[in-house]
Amino acid sequence: MAPQPLPLADDAPVAVWSAVVNGNPVRAIIKSHDVLLDVIRDGIGSLGTKRGCDMGTCGCCTVMIDGKPRLSCLTLAMEAKNHQITTVEGLSDGHYLHPIQDMFAECGGSQCGFCTPGFLVASAALLDGNPTPTREEAMQAIEGNLCRCTGYQQIIDSIMSASKILSEGSQIQATTEPASDPHPNSRG
Amino acid sequence: MSKDKEIVGYRQQPGKLDFTRPGSGGSSPLSEDRDPEMIPASQGGELEQPWGAHRHDNLVTGRVIGKRTPLIDGKWKVTGQAIYGDDVRLPGEIIGRLVRTDRHYAKVLSIDMTEAESIPGVIATATGVDAPSAFGVLPVTKDEHAMALEKVRHIGDIVACVAAVDEETARLAASKVQVEYEGLEPIFDMRDGLKNSTDPIHDRGKYHIGESNVQKRVFQRFGRISDLEKSMASYDDDWTFKGVNHGFTEPHAVVAHWDPRGRLTLYTPQQVPHYVHRALADVLEIPMHQINVHRTYVGGGFGGKSDPFPHEMCAAILARKSGRPVRITFDREEVFWTNRGRHPSRISMSIHADDKGRLSGIETDALIDGGGFASFGHVTTYYNGVLHTAPYEIGAFHYTGARVWTNKPASGAMRGHGAVNSRCAVEVGIDHISEEMDVDPIDLRLANLLPPNSATITGFRITSIGMRECLEKVRRQSGWDEKFRKMPLGKGIGVGCGFFISGSGLPIHWDPNKFPHATVHLKIDMDGGVTVHTGAADIGQGSDTVVGQAVAEVLGLPMDMIRIRSKESDTSPVDLGSYSSRVTFMNANAAVSAAMEIRSNLIDAASELTGVERADLVLGDRRIFNKKDPGVGVSYLEALHKAQEDKGALIASGSYRTPPMGKMHKGAAAGLAPAYSFSAYVAEVDVDVETGKIKVEKVWAAHDCGKALNPLSVEGQIIGSCHMGLGQVISEEMKYGRTGNLLNPDLLGYKIPTVHEMPEVVPIIVESNDPEGPFGAKEAGEGPLLPILPAVCNAVYDAIGVRVNELPLTPDRLHRAIERTCKHKGVKDPRDLPNPSLQKGALSDVLIARAEVHSERDKQRRLNPNPEAYFNGQLFNHLTTGPPEEHDPEWTIQVLPDEEYLNNPKLAGSAWLHKERRHMEESG
Repeated sequence: MAPQPLPLADDAPVAVWSAVVNGNPVRAIIKSHDVLLDVIRDGIGSLGTKRGCDMGTCGCCTVMIDGKPRLSCLTLAMEAKNHQITTVEGLSDGHYLHPIQDMFAECGGSQCGFCTPGFLVASAALLDGNPTPTREEAMQAIEGNLCRCTGYQQIIDSIMSASKILSEGSQIQATTEPASDPHPNSRG
Repeated sequence: MSKDKEIVGYRQQPGKLDFTRPGSGGSSPLSEDRDPEMIPASQGGELEQPWGAHRHDNLVTGRVIGKRTPLIDGKWKVTGQAIYGDDVRLPGEIIGRLVRTDRHYAKVLSIDMTEAESIPGVIATATGVDAPSAFGVLPVTKDEHAMALEKVRHIGDIVACVAAVDEETARLAASKVQVEYEGLEPIFDMRDGLKNSTDPIHDRGKYHIGESNVQKRVFQRFGRISDLEKSMASYDDDWTFKGVNHGFTEPHAVVAHWDPRGRLTLYTPQQVPHYVHRALADVLEIPMHQINVHRTYVGGGFGGKSDPFPHEMCAAILARKSGRPVRITFDREEVFWTNRGRHPSRISMSIHADDKGRLSGIETDALIDGGGFASFGHVTTYYNGVLHTAPYEIGAFHYTGARVWTNKPASGAMRGHGAVNSRCAVEVGIDHISEEMDVDPIDLRLANLLPPNSATITGFRITSIGMRECLEKVRRQSGWDEKFRKMPLGKGIGVGCGFFISGSGLPIHWDPNKFPHATVHLKIDMDGGVTVHTGAADIGQGSDTVVGQAVAEVLGLPMDMIRIRSKESDTSPVDLGSYSSRVTFMNANAAVSAAMEIRSNLIDAASELTGVERADLVLGDRRIFNKKDPGVGVSYLEALHKAQEDKGALIASGSYRTPPMGKMHKGAAAGLAPAYSFSAYVAEVDVDVETGKIKVEKVWAAHDCGKALNPLSVEGQIIGSCHMGLGQVISEEMKYGRTGNLLNPDLLGYKIPTVHEMPEVVPIIVESNDPEGPFGAKEAGEGPLLPILPAVCNAVYDAIGVRVNELPLTPDRLHRAIERTCKHKGVKDPRDLPNPSLQKGALSDVLIARAEVHSERDKQRRLNPNPEAYFNGQLFNHLTTGPPEEHDPEWTIQVLPDEEYLNNPKLAGSAWLHKERRHMEESG
């Protein structure tokens, strides 16, 4: 029997899409009307980027396109074709976290954590261009992001601490005991 | 960033830690073993306890508790590795989609799924008949179904569900489901819910209240009601509050997987996994042991994820039918249809004060709009009244409340459950009274506080109370005395207080006499790390962290030796969930009692190894040693390995149950808690008198959380509460149009404050050291929300002299209030409005003197291990000892209305004009 055409609910034209995501070349087959958020989450499985509202109001889906923060739910994937895309997973270098990530964890910038990837990307983009922002500049950088847990204050604190680390090269003051050694200070 | 230019990575990297061989403990500098600054003076440390001792004094090692501790799961969240509901992707998953009705209120005549089922790629469909069992979070009000059975009750109510290979197909199939309806007359105004209806939204059989849509009604009278008439100053106003949504950033999502062995695993971001577990067993009609509820990371809850939900049932049903994992994720709009947010309410508030500046009575009438389902509404109806019986001593309390069903998305529990709106009205009322009496509102409050170890008018047991210190601190730090009534028109400052439960005294589902509220299991194997099994749901508030801290503190271990397993019902002991601010109090108490058992095992082993008496051994930093001769001791691992001889891993179980409390009248249990938190805020605002725009400039926020186990989290909770409360006071409302349609089911129309609306918040932690809390702790998650609303309203009055009685204070609404005030005062230009001023009257000195006496009384009482009983009413010299109703013939306790009241009931009180059907049958 001759093969029949597949009855698809959505027979939009498909396209080969490629981009550099977190430093790695990625290729995917997408529908031409796919938004970038869907491609990032469902197509290439980068689940750190969150979907909060689908209409550009919450900022959870913020990613960097060529270093600029963009709402991936309002960006057609085709617009980002062959561009550099950075998601929250791309901020750290293996085990080495970006200072903004470390500071969000240490200073209370993240509570439930769902808006955190968006805030991290937005503030990392700020710090890339301006490592020593004022509090007002930090506020402007995250004005498109909603957070329901923290009231933003500890988020701004986190950005300012990260800025200090980046600009002064100071080490992070860990607030927990750093060693898992059950025998402190003893070398038998 | 290159690896050689190291900043800081994950800590567990080869070569970064100097791991040493086991068995060599004892050589660490002794000064580091315990932190004397954090150890209570009674235990030989340096920590003064002006508030008295708590029950875990002797367990403090000074390592973790009270120190700023980042969330134990924070690194998962900042790297994008935390798995939330929609991030659970299982092999072979299909996508579920719910079919939601577009009718307000209608009978479902037929549902035709044939066209949907014929679409290629559709794998399973289901309708209400697939799961006819009712469920609901409260056992007394199970009125929800997975999908509509007979009726749809609001736009967005679920009638069917479909599952297909991908989202497009599922959406297409959902749109092809044909439903035939017969329209019913919907109601949208909560006042209509009080009337008889031909088709009540639910039918409760013989317990139905008349033919009305009243779901729950409460009548309470306490104290000397006759005193209500003898007032020198009074406040009387009718408030309108709009519905508020939680606005968590993560939309609901669920994944159901029926495994090949026939067990269901449900992955869901839930605050109350245990109640979901029970509801699933009811609805699917399978035993509970066949179900594993896996709580994923929760992207914000605030009460909005604390009901078992129809979509969770639908996913399970679709997974059972299809044999494949089913994932359902909501659009933001669906979150608003599901709602369970704060009840829209109409509150009539009367407060009376006598010539000595005492609050002789509070009368409250609260009508709350429950929407289509009961949810937590039974409790909310009580909380609207009983949670304002403190922190003030009051002469009489009269509350009438009613919750009605309307054809709108269901209201439910939201941060500050039931207490927020009526608290706002009370605090604004007290501000008004102090204005009438020419006294400072803080002076008035300070002279009317309940003391520690006392009982409220409804019989709630107050153990620790830091209200006075909260007020004094915000007064001092905000510069209140220099600012209040002294700032120019348009600038203002206001104060508000709060009172909230720290855990609900009665569990929702369990027999309180037999089961604990919280259970924690510990397991320690050869490696020395401690695995904590708990069912408490970490929803971002940091409950995993605080439970870990409690264990680490008792065992003298650093936090990274603790690992928490709290996600799966298969491995976690039952915990009732994250609601009513119960987790820190109950779960950490359970964790401490489990850790005490392990501690005892370790001390036994150390005693055997060292020959030191058990009583002389204490735990320090990874070491157990003789407190009289600190050089003699063994390391934690040595003691552990000794303790494990012959039995392997150490395991322990600890639990917590509330003590017997409260009175016996109907409804006495609502609002009972093992401890209560208190807070006082001062807000400074800038009001544009011409446009009605408010800018909240700064908030001084003092909260008595007993003991801040993790000050970083407590501050985060205080600031976050300010944000959420601020939203309700300046911009957030669920807007319903004239035809009952929700106009703003999205985050563009629903205005959550952004970073620019947020004022600077100065969090001030007051530690009253609760005698029963874990290390003295009480709640900090919900209470801090309450005072921000009245503080802003009172600051607006101070700024422009306009009393408001409607929230949110959007510019248009405030502008109308300004216009009304201008008209009332005969002022043409709002810029000429009289700026409120204060000339302190004679009563002021009386209050200040009384506050000083009370301050001394409170200090004596909290340090006295056996203080005399103190019952609300003693301020009025009604009696000296014992519960007032036993001694005072004029003291009323009344929980049913009398004829006299029913002749002239208030709005919500008129719900009592209906008889329950069973009584009608008897009399008819």
